[in-house]
Amino acid sequence: MSRTVVSAEGVEKIVQTSAGQLVILDGIDLEINEGESVAIVGASGSGKTTLLGILAGLDTASSGTVKLLDANLTELDEEARALTRGQHVGFVFQSFQLLASLTALENVMLPVELRGDTLAQSQAQELLEKVGLADRLDHYPRQLSGGEQQRVAIARAFASDPTVLFADEPTGNLDTQTGERICQLLFDLNQEFGTTLIMVTHDLQLAARCSRTIAISGGQIVPSEQATASAL
Amino acid sequence: MNIKLVARMAWRDVRSGEMGLLLVALLVAVGTVTSISLFVDRLQSALLEESSNFLAADRQISSSRAIPEDFIVQAQQRGLNTAQTLVFPSMVFAGDLNQLVSVKAVDETYPLRGELIVGSEPFQRGAPTDAVPAPGTIWLDSRLFPAMNVALGDSLEVGMAELTIAKVLVAEPDRGGSFFDLGPRLLMNLQDVAATEVVQPGSRLSYRLLLSGDETELESLREALPLKPNFSWISVRESSPRIGRALDRAESFLLLGGLLGVLLAGIAVGLSAHRYAQRHFDHVGVLKTLGATPAQILRGFMSLLLLVGAIAIVMGLLAGSLLHIVIVQLLASLIAVELPMPTVRPFLLGGATGLICALAFAMPAFVHLKNVEPMRVIRRDLGVAPLSRWLSYGAAAAGSLLLLVWYTKDLWLTLWTLLSIVSICVIFGALAWALLKGGRVAGMQAKSGWRLALAGLQRRRMENTAQILIFGVAIMLLLVLVLIRTALIDEWRSQVPEDAANHFVMNIAEDEVEGVRALVRDQATEGEFLFPMIRGRVSQVNDSSAKQWQETVGRQGGGPRLTSERSLTWSVLPPENNAIIAGAWWSADSTAAEVSLEQEYAEDFGLQLGDRLEFDVGGRRVWSTVTSIRSLEWESMTPNFYIILSPGALSDFPATYMTSFFLEPSEKVFLNTLLRQYPTITVIEIDALIAQVQKIVAQVSQAVELVLALVLLSGALVLIASIQASRDTRMAEHGLIRALGGTRALIGGSLTAEFLVLGAFAGVVAVFGAELVVAMLQLQVFELQAEAHPWIWLLGPTAGALIITVVGLAGSRSLIDTPPMNVLRGL
Repeated sequence: MSRTVVSAEGVEKIVQTSAGQLVILDGIDLEINEGESVAIVGASGSGKTTLLGILAGLDTASSGTVKLLDANLTELDEEARALTRGQHVGFVFQSFQLLASLTALENVMLPVELRGDTLAQSQAQELLEKVGLADRLDHYPRQLSGGEQQRVAIARAFASDPTVLFADEPTGNLDTQTGERICQLLFDLNQEFGTTLIMVTHDLQLAARCSRTIAISGGQIVPSEQATASAL
Repeated sequence: MNIKLVARMAWRDVRSGEMGLLLVALLVAVGTVTSISLFVDRLQSALLEESSNFLAADRQISSSRAIPEDFIVQAQQRGLNTAQTLVFPSMVFAGDLNQLVSVKAVDETYPLRGELIVGSEPFQRGAPTDAVPAPGTIWLDSRLFPAMNVALGDSLEVGMAELTIAKVLVAEPDRGGSFFDLGPRLLMNLQDVAATEVVQPGSRLSYRLLLSGDETELESLREALPLKPNFSWISVRESSPRIGRALDRAESFLLLGGLLGVLLAGIAVGLSAHRYAQRHFDHVGVLKTLGATPAQILRGFMSLLLLVGAIAIVMGLLAGSLLHIVIVQLLASLIAVELPMPTVRPFLLGGATGLICALAFAMPAFVHLKNVEPMRVIRRDLGVAPLSRWLSYGAAAAGSLLLLVWYTKDLWLTLWTLLSIVSICVIFGALAWALLKGGRVAGMQAKSGWRLALAGLQRRRMENTAQILIFGVAIMLLLVLVLIRTALIDEWRSQVPEDAANHFVMNIAEDEVEGVRALVRDQATEGEFLFPMIRGRVSQVNDSSAKQWQETVGRQGGGPRLTSERSLTWSVLPPENNAIIAGAWWSADSTAAEVSLEQEYAEDFGLQLGDRLEFDVGGRRVWSTVTSIRSLEWESMTPNFYIILSPGALSDFPATYMTSFFLEPSEKVFLNTLLRQYPTITVIEIDALIAQVQKIVAQVSQAVELVLALVLLSGALVLIASIQASRDTRMAEHGLIRALGGTRALIGGSLTAEFLVLGAFAGVVAVFGAELVVAMLQLQVFELQAEAHPWIWLLGPTAGALIITVVGLAGSRSLIDTPPMNVLRGL
């Protein structure tokens, strides 16, 4: 049986607003195993992005336990969570989030450099070739199209050879055709690297390509039909 | 983050302009401080050197006793140059004629600073010489030639010696000190003094040891010698208060200018660092999602700051040095003295300024970056917890204090300036906040530019209050500098007006007064006063003899005693430039015997209002009561009296009179006519002294103006940095309004209105602040009269509105010109 990579137990996220307490996540329990590809779906404001942030260690839960591999994220401080992210996690974002001051190659090298590993450049170059950008190595993000930027972001996500890849609406900013190509690339690489993929998306077709769908509504996990219906 | 990555990020940030303003602000801070301190350092040395000419040395030791041989040995052991002089009054004789002269005997090394000017005909310009009178010869003041009816080659009897007149003495460097070094000068060789046999016990002698050389050696000599109570140590500041005070004030001003320059540059550095950090929140968020730890972020950005700081320091030092060379070249024609090489201090100061500015003003914003939440990458609406105010303001205040105290070496000046700025910020911050808070309207009011601007001002009142304060403080600091500079230069110029009396006439007998005045009125410009002068001494104070009184008061050190003979005068009205600080001046018709004392004189001898003094005037005694204490302006080129009596006390004593006149240099031959007709009067020429003071004032004024220009540059930078800092918020709103159909005219109008309001508000803050700070500085630091400046009340807000609008619109041009799509994409 494959091991659990990400687990959440009784996770709550509550924020204080001027109108009183706002419950964003309300008792989330889940387990995601190695090699799975999981889509988190739900309507806007359902709490799916917040859940992704907490599972990836970008944000902290108000209560409950979140584990990422062997690390109990709820017990770690930001310093230790960052080290865990650097070691095990890759990200792909809707708005690409490339550093404008670095070239495509430098952006891909960044996670490896941050880890202090050597050979960053050759690995990065190889990855960019894989995503079809061998001739764009020295281009800056502003010199690339949206699809190209997202391909650089995908190459960067795999550069650190992550165990888990978190993707937040990876095709949300792209046209259908480009989105489709990016999606294919993401799943191909995921398979090649044997990565666990956790993805937030509105796109039901994209969700359908995942091995499992977790639906969120009103901060709780609901049967996926319910979430799909409310999303539509 | 490794150093290669940091260097790459720094380079990209500099190239992309993200780091540009911070780099420029740091560069200007370092450059301004370096160039100001280099210039001040060299000019101070030069001015001090020039002023040393008034002493003919760097220092003097003076005494009524002979200078011990040991003093000279110790000075020479320290590698110092020495010269000796002896001044005494003596009657000289030529045939039937005789005259009281002031003899100065000098050795071969005299003077150590400045030069003797001699001529071969009386009342001619003359030329400098390296020599002193050879043994057996004397040099005489021009006016002695007609008075004694002698010519070059004739001889004069000085005591028992007969000495040959070899040259006309036109000027000597250390003549300017006192108006009461009476009588025309006779310069002779020290070796001839013994032969004259005039130096007897009881003679009025003034021995001086002149010293020049290394400052630290001079100070070490001062420490080592047993000077008190018989020997006084004299430096330029003590010997020539006129020059000393001008130098002190100029120094304070230049330091104040530097201080304000540093503060302004610090604000600019803080603002641009803050903006840099804000624009890097997303960047840090991404780095954090990729596994960068807060410690790594902190190390990385601190290294980046230090790297940029180091580049700015090197470039700033270079720029500062170049700028200072340009300044020196520009002013070469005005700076007559040769500037000595600079010391290393200005460079150290410039470098440290860069480092402290980077750490105190920029560091808090950089440290803040480590607190950015990684979650921000997927939820951009997540704000970043505000920067700790304690860290941010605490670091800036500590940095300013450290820098300013080190720079000015004056804790008092620094604390006053900082305290004033903080109080003004608190008061006007609250005021601006309240004004902007009033009547918040709903919506953006995008119907007209003016209403859009007002609504925006109110909506972002926190940022706008801060901006008003920053603009206000920048304009205030500049106004302070302009006002103080104007007050200082006016004050200096008024002390020595162009047509100030440059000759004094003394020893005019009562029956000569009308004749002398008529002659003066005819051929020169008569001065404004006529003082009777009577020599007398204090013989008794209340019930004690003056000698006993002095022993009780216990006055130490050299200088005249209470019982010394002094020049007394009487007057119906108080002299100009005298201020009564205690008691009251006598009424014009008073017949009582009253006396008015100079403040320091009264303090030195423990005399108070109501004390009764007995004066001995040539054997006749007169009692009078102290009814007022006066303060004097020692810098003024007018005669000052320690003791003035009421007409009722002295008017029936025989007196000689003193007056003054202005004479053009080309008309100096008039002195011959005057002295030939009235051979017993004494003429004191201070035209050379006045010219010298005017020259120094002109040089110092130039330096002051230059520093002002440099600080204005820092001020402009603050305005640009501040407008840049608020650009992103404006861009977001205006980009959106344009996307929704707002015209360029609407945005332009709104920006203009917004900057006009901000600028006018800032102008009001600046004017209030400037009046307060200037009044405080004038009273506390520069010892000038405080006064209001009504003209700045209109000028401040108007200029503030105009400057901010021009700079603001220039900095926001892209907001109007860039297509809305690009603006929105860039958000």
